[in-house]
Amino acid sequence: MSENPYMTYNARILEVKDLTSREKLFTLRFLDPEVGANFNFKPGQFVIVDIRGFGEFPISICSSPTRKGYLQLCIRKVGRMTKFIHKMKEGDIIGIRGPYGNGFPMEEMEGSNLILVAGGLGMAPLRSVLWYAIDTGKYENVWLLYGTKAYEDILFRDEIIHLLKHGEAMNCSVKLAYEVESPSCIYLERGFSDRVCKGVVTDLFRGEEFDVNNTYALICGPPVMYKFVIRELLDRKLSPGRIYMTLERRMRCGIGKCGHCIVGTSTSIKYVCKDGPVFTYWDALSTRGLI
Amino acid sequence: MRYIKLPSENFEKFFKSLGEWGTMYAPVKRGSIYSFQEVHSPAEIALDYNRTMLPPKKFFFRPREAILRLKNGRWEEEVEAEPMVLFGLHSCDIHGLKILDKVYLDEPADPYYKSRREKTLIIGISCMPDEYCFCKSLGTHFAMDGFDLFLHELPDGWLVRIGSVRGHEIAWENGELFEEVTDEDLANFKEFEEKRAKAFQKELPQEGLADMLDLAYNSPVWKKYADICLACGNCNMVCPTCRCYEVCDRWMDAYKAVRERRYDSCFMENHGLVAGGHNFRPTRLDRFRHRYYCKSYFDPSAGYNCVGCGRCDEFCPAKIEHVKVLEEVRGSLK
Repeated sequence: MSENPYMTYNARILEVKDLTSREKLFTLRFLDPEVGANFNFKPGQFVIVDIRGFGEFPISICSSPTRKGYLQLCIRKVGRMTKFIHKMKEGDIIGIRGPYGNGFPMEEMEGSNLILVAGGLGMAPLRSVLWYAIDTGKYENVWLLYGTKAYEDILFRDEIIHLLKHGEAMNCSVKLAYEVESPSCIYLERGFSDRVCKGVVTDLFRGEEFDVNNTYALICGPPVMYKFVIRELLDRKLSPGRIYMTLERRMRCGIGKCGHCIVGTSTSIKYVCKDGPVFTYWDALSTRGLI
Repeated sequence: MRYIKLPSENFEKFFKSLGEWGTMYAPVKRGSIYSFQEVHSPAEIALDYNRTMLPPKKFFFRPREAILRLKNGRWEEEVEAEPMVLFGLHSCDIHGLKILDKVYLDEPADPYYKSRREKTLIIGISCMPDEYCFCKSLGTHFAMDGFDLFLHELPDGWLVRIGSVRGHEIAWENGELFEEVTDEDLANFKEFEEKRAKAFQKELPQEGLADMLDLAYNSPVWKKYADICLACGNCNMVCPTCRCYEVCDRWMDAYKAVRERRYDSCFMENHGLVAGGHNFRPTRLDRFRHRYYCKSYFDPSAGYNCVGCGRCDEFCPAKIEHVKVLEEVRGSLK
């Protein structure tokens, strides 16, 4: 393996699946089996995708390390680079380097309840946690509270609906909030009236109580979401040290050199790429500008 | 530390012997500014310089460089560096390199920076402060390490401090050029350092600085200066510790491309911009404040991210003074 940390490894696109009109799911496998075997990651970590000659961009891993042999990335078409990768087909080769960042402390949380709070595209990194928790069975109960714009925007819709129906058997309970009404949403709401509602993700907390001494919350969503979700959790007396969130910043190098993801002030500079992207609420309280 | 003396008459021979190590770069005067350039004789060097416009970081972390080259669909790297001698670095710039080392040599190390750093001799030289210097306040006015040899001016030569094994080797191989240090030399050295310590005109009080600045996050002083600031990013370019870079791929022809990185500035609007258009530092105020916080960050193991070289003041077209901004921000706390 090259010692150059900027060198990427060839990976083949095994499958491209449309998740919504904007998001596609790319399933990848490293061409070199040795690289693939050495690629160990934790839920919450990210990789840098390299489209040779066009550039690089960071993206969180949305598959679980429990499912070996492939890597999945959920990519929203928002800019030049993502538009380019959306045109790529099965069999095409891209470069990958990573995994980067700290990831969620899955081992530390074993035996506890997990509350995953996802907003929009924030579902992608939390899907890695979700399947890790379900596959390992090492967690008491898993709740997924997912806020989405509309029925058409639900990421991994088949999986989410499957879990709505059969999650109980896997100690997994899914709740869904949507903002734009549609026949499909109303149909879902009728079927699961206690778990699907019109509103925002914080509405899903209504009536929820949990054992604060045995629960961790894991949050990922648009920047505006964190403050409101954290308020709900603090209202229920969950310790800031048990609130984990994964943050987005402009991560160019992924290894704490290029400086774009630096946050904080004179007492607390942090690199989101290497000190995060997973932080606790304690970190947010001591690092200005984190959320 | 080992101390030896280089008499003035041996300076040229010493300079020539250094040239055998690699390409020599030293401060030269270009128009009204100083700059590190390739030199071949001591006559070209401006030993009385105060600061160059670009700090010596340009030799290790280049303003623009190719990090990978794409040929027929495969990335190729060129890491091998040429041996260099950087002659005449001031103490603040040596401290600046140490701060860059902490970032670029931290695992995983940047191979380009590392290779150049390993193949470069650092020869420090003493200086007298001007109206912009405030290195003494930050403790960067004297380098205890980070150099191979450090030359302190004496009336009849140089007191040389040896700071590395390579420095010892140079002194060993050129033993005939050096002499033992006499009591008179020590007295001159002491006198020079005392005179220098008194010559600083600018001071940045340290007490509780990092906390005071943090507490003054909403101070109107940030806005006052952000309004004056042209957001040109000049202060970032000339700063010996600023190291943000941007990466882009560029096609050479249909088969070849390069992945280049170049200096970036936190004053640029797209510095904190992410996909989808969300900007984490959308206003000039946010970006102005960010730079000051980044420079004033106090790392218990490495100190501040500022070495007090005064470049940002001297080369600021809006004449914003770093120390003055920090003082006013701190002063705005009621």
